[in-house]
Parts: sequence; structure tokens; C-alpha cells
Amino acid sequence: MIEIKHVKKSFDNVEILKDVSLNVADGEVVVILGPSGSGKTTLLRCVSFLEKADSGIFSLGDVSVNLHKISKKDILKLRRKMAFVFQNYNLFANKTALENVAEGLVTARKMDKIQAIRKARQALEWVGLSDKENFYPVQLSGGQQQRVGIARAVVLEPEVIFFDEPTSALDPELVGETLEVIKKVAKMGITMIVVTHEMSFAQDVADKVVFMDGGLVVEEGKPEVIFSHPKEARTRQFLSRIISLDPVYYI
Amino acid sequence: MRTFHWDIFLKFYIEILPYLSVTFSYVFFSLLFGFGIGIGITVMKFSGKRILSALASIYISVMRCVPSVVLLFLIYYGLPMMMKGEFGISMDHIGTIVYVIITFSLFLGASTSEIMRAGYLAVGKGQREAGYMVGLSGWQTFYRIIFPQAVRACIPNIGNIIIYMIKEGALAYTIGLQDVLGRGYQLNSLKGNAYSAETYVALALIYWPCTIILEKVFAYIEKKVSLADMIAGQKTEVSMEEI
Repeated sequence: MIEIKHVKKSFDNVEILKDVSLNVADGEVVVILGPSGSGKTTLLRCVSFLEKADSGIFSLGDVSVNLHKISKKDILKLRRKMAFVFQNYNLFANKTALENVAEGLVTARKMDKIQAIRKARQALEWVGLSDKENFYPVQLSGGQQQRVGIARAVVLEPEVIFFDEPTSALDPELVGETLEVIKKVAKMGITMIVVTHEMSFAQDVADKVVFMDGGLVVEEGKPEVIFSHPKEARTRQFLSRIISLDPVYYI
Repeated sequence: MRTFHWDIFLKFYIEILPYLSVTFSYVFFSLLFGFGIGIGITVMKFSGKRILSALASIYISVMRCVPSVVLLFLIYYGLPMMMKGEFGISMDHIGTIVYVIITFSLFLGASTSEIMRAGYLAVGKGQREAGYMVGLSGWQTFYRIIFPQAVRACIPNIGNIIIYMIKEGALAYTIGLQDVLGRGYQLNSLKGNAYSAETYVALALIYWPCTIILEKVFAYIEKKVSLADMIAGQKTEVSMEEI
């Protein structure tokens, strides 16, 4: 169970998160939608301590922390229960695909090296990249890099994985293969919070869709409800702009 | 025009050559201590403490603005005076080379810290965040992820700074150190400065191979460690100018 309560965050007096609360059940896949600047990414970064929130409470399992006042030790402890998939992959440039996946096991979790390598190989195989284990990130396509990024997250067996627009830096051609892998992760039953613009992905995979705008959660609910009968006008407006464009092509 | 005395040139060349050991020893120690100071300054700069970071900036600014020969004189004449006046410590028995090493260590402290800063900044912040998010601590992220990449970014500049040090170190003759230049200067003056051409051609031909060799060595190292060339089977040229 993840509880995010009253998270606020401003950058240079611009309020990005006004007061965001969100509950995520174990094994639930939550997709956060919303226009650019609505605070989706900032929310993920605040609860993974990559940004320091101005206030807010975050609970993961039985650990509950104040996001504004948390010790380095607690950050490290909590981070070792989570994983993050970045928009720009952020694979370690000085390490091969296999080393990237094994790093968190060997260095952070002090797993036996041989065992870690074995697990990392399995994870790479699972994302379909067995043949690329000795490749450096620069040698891989965006889609392949992101799949390594997903393997790097999954191998840690975290309690939750955050996905920050995992496909928006990819060539349209490569989005599909990456989404397939993310769907596989969802089926494993790991709790996931996914920020994305991929509507069909949200429809297929999400247990819950959260629509954010202007630093607030406007609406949340089951995808079939949000997509077909949104309650709020702002949600309808946003969805109509995105979804109605799908079948019709404007030149 | 008088003829060039090849015999004198050769004699000088052979006599000066062993003094390379003096040159190399102050280059080595200046670099050693210079990097030490540089690491300290860089750490101060990135400490997040405003006072420390300001002090580091002032240090770098001063060192970059004072000509090395001025600092050399200041250290050579000023330091013993100060030590004697303030602390009653006599520095009479201390060799000239020590002053040279102090001076250039101070200088290199500033320039190496700038190199390290650039190398550190060359590694994107995403790398650090990725390290944190696989559960590495700040220190683990630094030595496993950031440092190896930063060093690669620094290598061409480190080569340049060693070459710079070899050349700039020649100033040591102004305080009477018998290094390569100092020895050449002395040999020439013993002959009434009659063989300046021979002396300085000999000196040029001593310095030149040293820097060329260093340049090649660093080009080789750079090639060895550059990510592009770690790639098996694929050869990618990375030019020095690019970095």
C-alpha cells in the first residue's frame, strides 16, 4: 500500500504541485495522465526523493515519512524498495547492458556477484535482449535502452516501480516493443505508477487512471469510467482532444 | 653570419640532457601536490557550503590572474621572509626546487580543479539520479558511475596540463634552479654567452621530444578509454578537439 498525502512543491515561486494525495493498493497499476506542466513527473520525482517536496507525507508499506524532512539514511532505505524508469533511460554510460542491470544488486544490495549476474541475465532475457548483454548503451537503440532500463528496475524486485514517460523519448516505431515489456511488468503484479501519454496503454493496463491538471488531481477512477464517462469537464476536454484525433487524420 | 658549431651543440646537448631528471622531478611533484590541492578545491566548490565555495572561487581566480613568474618570486623571496619574521623558522637550507614545487603546486591546484569541475559537470545529472534509484548511496554513485565517466572527460586536459607544466616550469631558471633550461643557461654563460644559438637549439630539441611523446601517450590513453572505442568491432574516431 502506498499513500501519498498532501504533497506540495514549488519551483521559484511557481506552484507545480498544489496539494496532491493518492493511494495505490498493492499490485495496482496506476496511470497518471494530464497535460504538460500538470505536475505528473514532479510527483514521481518527489516521492522518489529526486526532488525535495515542500511538504507531504509518503508511506510505503509500514514506513511513513515526511517528504520535506527526511534523513539520507531513510531515503536510501526507501529507495531500495523502489525502482525508477526514466524518460531518457539514463543507463549508466560506462557500463554494459548486463552491468547496468546487475549494478543495483551487486553494489546496493550486496548480492553475491555470480548470483547477481545470473539474475541480471534472466532479466535481460525477459525483456528480449539476451544477445545484447555486452553492449554499451551508446550501441543500443532507444527502445533497447529503455528495455534495459526496465530490466534494471525489475531485477531489483522492488515494491513499486515508477515509470516517468517511458516511451515519450522513443521513435514511434519503437514505442510498441517498449510498451509490450511494460505490460509484461504489469502482469507480474508489481505495484506501478506510470506517467504516460499513451492512452491505449492506459486503457489496456491501468487498474486506476488519475487525471492531473494544474498541480491537482482532477479526477481518478477505473479506466473504463474515466475514458467513457469522465465526471469533470476538464478531463472530458483533455481526453476529447487526444482521443478523438486517433481515427481521423488531419493534413 | 657565423657558422653553427655542431660540436658545441652536441656537447651542450649531452651535458644538459641529464638535467631532465630535475625538470621531471618538479613536474612530477607539482602535479602530485597540484592534483591534491585541486581535489580539495573541487570538493569545496561542490560542497554546497557558500563560504567554502566562495573561497574556492577566490583561490582559482587569484591563481589564474597572477603570472606564474610573479608567484614564483613571491614564494621564493617572500616565503622565507615571512617564515623567519612571523615564526622564526629559517628556510635557508631549503633547496630551490622546493620553491618551484610549491609555486607550481599552487598553480596547478587551480587549473586541475577547473579540469575536474568540467569533467564532473560533463556527466549528466541523469546518471546520478539513475544511480540513486537503483539504490546506490551518494558515495557509491560517485565512485561507480560519476567518477569513471568524469575521468574520461578529463584525460585530454590532463595531458595538456602536463605539457603546460613542463614548459612553464622552465621559469624555474629565474630563481637559479639548475634544471634543463637553467643548466643550458649556465653552460652558455660560462662561455661568455657566445653560443646562444647552439644552447637554445639544444634546449628546443630536448623539450620537443618530451612534449611530443607525452602528447602521443595521452592520445593513446584517450583512445583506449573512450567509450566509443570500447565498442568491440566498431572503430570510432574521437578527435581531441571534440572534447
